[in-house]
Amino acid sequence: MIHAAALCVLAGAGLWLVAAALGTTAARVSGLVAASAGTALGGAGAATGGGLIAAHGSGAVRTIGAGNLVGSVTLRLDPLAAVFICLLGIVALAIGLYMPRYHGAGRGTAWYLPALNLALLASLGVLVAGNAVVFLVAWESMTLFSYLVILRHHRRAGVARAAFLFLALGEAGFALIVAAFAILATHTGTLDLAGIAARADAVPAAWRDTAFVLALLGFGFKAGLVPLHIWLPEAHPAAPADGSAFLSGLVLKLGVFGIALFGFELERGGPAWWGLLTMGLGALSAVLGILYALMERDLKRFLAYSSIENIGVILTALGGAMVFSAYGQRAIGTFLLLAGLYHVFNHGVYKTLLFLEAGVVEHATGTRDMDLLGGLIHRLRASAVVSLVGTLGIAALPPLNGFVSEWLIFQGLFQGFRIGNNLVGILIVVAGASLALTGGLAIMGFARGFGIPFLGMPRSRGAAGASEPGQPLVGPALLAAACVALGVGAPLALTVLDRVVRATSGIEIHARLLVPQLTVIPAHTDFAAFSPTYLAVFLVCVAAVPLLIYLAGRPRGESRIVPVWDGGILAFREAMQYTATTYANPTRVTFDELYRPEFHVERASDDPAGRSGPVHYHFRVMPIFERFLYAPLVRGVERLADFIRPIQSGDVNLYLLYVLVVVLLAYLIYTY
Amino acid sequence: MLWFLRGIRRGVVTTRYPRATDAWARQLPSPPAFRSRRLTPELAARLAESCTPGALRLEGSELVLDLGACTGCGDCLTAGDDAVVPSGEFELATSARDALIKRIPIGAEG
Amino acid sequence: MTEEQRLSDELRERAVALFARSLHIRTFDSGSCAVCESEIRLLSAPHYDLHRLGFFFTPAPRHADLLLVSGAAVRAADTALRKTLAAIPEPRIVVAVGACALGGVFAPDELVHGRVDAVVPVDVYVPGCPPSPLALLHGLLVAVGRLEEKVRTLDFDLREELVG
Repeated sequence: MIHAAALCVLAGAGLWLVAAALGTTAARVSGLVAASAGTALGGAGAATGGGLIAAHGSGAVRTIGAGNLVGSVTLRLDPLAAVFICLLGIVALAIGLYMPRYHGAGRGTAWYLPALNLALLASLGVLVAGNAVVFLVAWESMTLFSYLVILRHHRRAGVARAAFLFLALGEAGFALIVAAFAILATHTGTLDLAGIAARADAVPAAWRDTAFVLALLGFGFKAGLVPLHIWLPEAHPAAPADGSAFLSGLVLKLGVFGIALFGFELERGGPAWWGLLTMGLGALSAVLGILYALMERDLKRFLAYSSIENIGVILTALGGAMVFSAYGQRAIGTFLLLAGLYHVFNHGVYKTLLFLEAGVVEHATGTRDMDLLGGLIHRLRASAVVSLVGTLGIAALPPLNGFVSEWLIFQGLFQGFRIGNNLVGILIVVAGASLALTGGLAIMGFARGFGIPFLGMPRSRGAAGASEPGQPLVGPALLAAACVALGVGAPLALTVLDRVVRATSGIEIHARLLVPQLTVIPAHTDFAAFSPTYLAVFLVCVAAVPLLIYLAGRPRGESRIVPVWDGGILAFREAMQYTATTYANPTRVTFDELYRPEFHVERASDDPAGRSGPVHYHFRVMPIFERFLYAPLVRGVERLADFIRPIQSGDVNLYLLYVLVVVLLAYLIYTY
Repeated sequence: MLWFLRGIRRGVVTTRYPRATDAWARQLPSPPAFRSRRLTPELAARLAESCTPGALRLEGSELVLDLGACTGCGDCLTAGDDAVVPSGEFELATSARDALIKRIPIGAEG
Repeated sequence: MTEEQRLSDELRERAVALFARSLHIRTFDSGSCAVCESEIRLLSAPHYDLHRLGFFFTPAPRHADLLLVSGAAVRAADTALRKTLAAIPEPRIVVAVGACALGGVFAPDELVHGRVDAVVPVDVYVPGCPPSPLALLHGLLVAVGRLEEKVRTLDFDLREELVG
């Protein structure tokens, strides 16, 4: 079983390598198609392999080489990582099926495809690394290749800057991760991850705490934890659709994987405040993420902020898991870990879908601005259906997958009363309440994110001229099917995930999680229970009722069909429709203190509106973190640079003096 | 604060129409009624002339009153001496427009 | 009585039976001076309280059974009037309110039709300038067949007074 899985993963890796090589020939259509096929097949391989390991619930370790400079190259297949490997495979499969129709053959694509495939390979490397050095090398390669992915359209305005922001924050995070690994490796005397995990108890408490916080922040940069998230809304619109899908569907999840690796494996059983910190940052990310998402008109920026929200939800679950475990409620802790992992998987699926569909919309209409779209449901019929499935999933509506995982997370968090410490119990429930606010706002946000571009009438010539033929469909459709399957078939998926968390936490909750009748019970039988499958059946039945009533009570005679009531105006025009901005305005007013919006109205003359010619209205949410956190930081660094600059005068004689001083110092240090 | 007490003290203010009609409803401006025996052709002509909205007109030996056009302005009451009085009639709704056109004979004959 | 008339009367009777106890009114201003509107609004006041008779105002023509039109039917409002009427599901009643709507005040020209029934078919006419709220109530009750049309029996001729 394990061997078959390892072979699948290896085949996937090999195929991505081949696809990367083939990608260099993407200047021709045949090269593009061949490379895409490689990516898709590799994805299928990785998904199968990851799925097999997760279902099997145990891993394997293989060490290659020994005693050389980096110690040895250890690779392993671990159930926890297998969940992410499976997700990576699904994302790659969908992207591979999507690419041939999205990208045109050309020199830019010939650069892009190798970068994307190598980024996939490097992500796989992060997940199969069994050793800190391998992990860090793979992590850094992943960052660099993702940087290249974002740089696909490097001549467009703002792309280079966005990519650089990604790289800069990625490197800052990398430094923290290196420091975290260094602390653990120094105190345990090994670079092997299994070895670190085995001897983690030997690390002094203060160093353990430091390592965890460093890891949380370091991986938080990649995961998009507020306030380390600022690269996300810049990088996603800059990257091509499949690149954004990869970033959001997978790279963010690798940050979550890193945090889970430290919190649940390397330093298992930390104090409760680790969990509270993770949970607090998670809840903050969730609420702020969705609030900022609501203000965005750009489809991809909107989705990027929604990713921040979902990462927040996941980390709230993982933090809650740590807190419950620290207070001895290990069953609920394990349950929350399971719920969090399920949400990782679900978010990976539907966010990839939505980014791919955002790419379709941009392709078909030439814009991502919601206020210039509209009426696409009549023009991109199949894509609209696929998008709708993804939207329902991410808005956490039953019976789709997002609902199941969010329900599980809520049920875990609302059992905070089982913790003896009242304050902690209340904090956990407050985190749950923040997620409830987030969930409500998310429904509003995605009603807007789907309704404004797809419903109504087209708001621009581009939107009116959109047409379906030639648009990629298979990849997103596959993901939509996965959304439905993961929702309706959730009990089955949870059985698999249960084996994963059992291998990670060593707690047996299967008996308390599922009963044979496809019903899910959140860790304790006296709290709640629900069956996603029966719910789906029930919803179908409920949907049938109005249909039956209509069929039975439909008037037999001729119907009089008149236009929709429009208030009796002469003609209803596109510009009279509700826009994305107006839809979000009530939220803008309610949360004015947070947004601190800046308005700018331009008029040709001072006549009342309507007689003054066109009125241009600009509105921008104040970027709080950029202005109050990052801008002072940047100013500080610049001031420091000014201070140090005199050393670098350009005078050769001075430099010779420096060399002399350094040599003297080295000599003196060496002597004493 | 004690608005409901005030309401109770006032008692029922709602009209009982259509079971009983408020007396004042008959004193509102209303279309004219004619004492046809006192009408002379000269008076009828003067009335038709005086009618601002044009609801009164002469047709041969009849004075035609279009209730639909009458605004209850009372100009005819001034012009018509005691031959014209307010009818006090307000229940004029009908499903036939023609039912609102009334023909009043001029003079004492008939 | 022609066959057509008989059918229309029958239809009207059925509609009236349907609306006898509850009916929703949509008002439409086709260019009135707003005095009719002021009287219509008074119907909701405590003194008249048309809800006790089962009448309600609704802003949505989709929910309305009766269209209450005031004003002289200016041509600019044609589209709106026709669209509003089309949006009201059948069976429905159209009531024209006030002297302008009945063709009393404005002669037809390039700006106004001068009467509502030149644009849409009218079922009940309520004269008055403005019709008082009680007159309007009478009109509504006549429209749903709960009161007899009194005006057919009146001749506005006070002959008997001289006799006495």
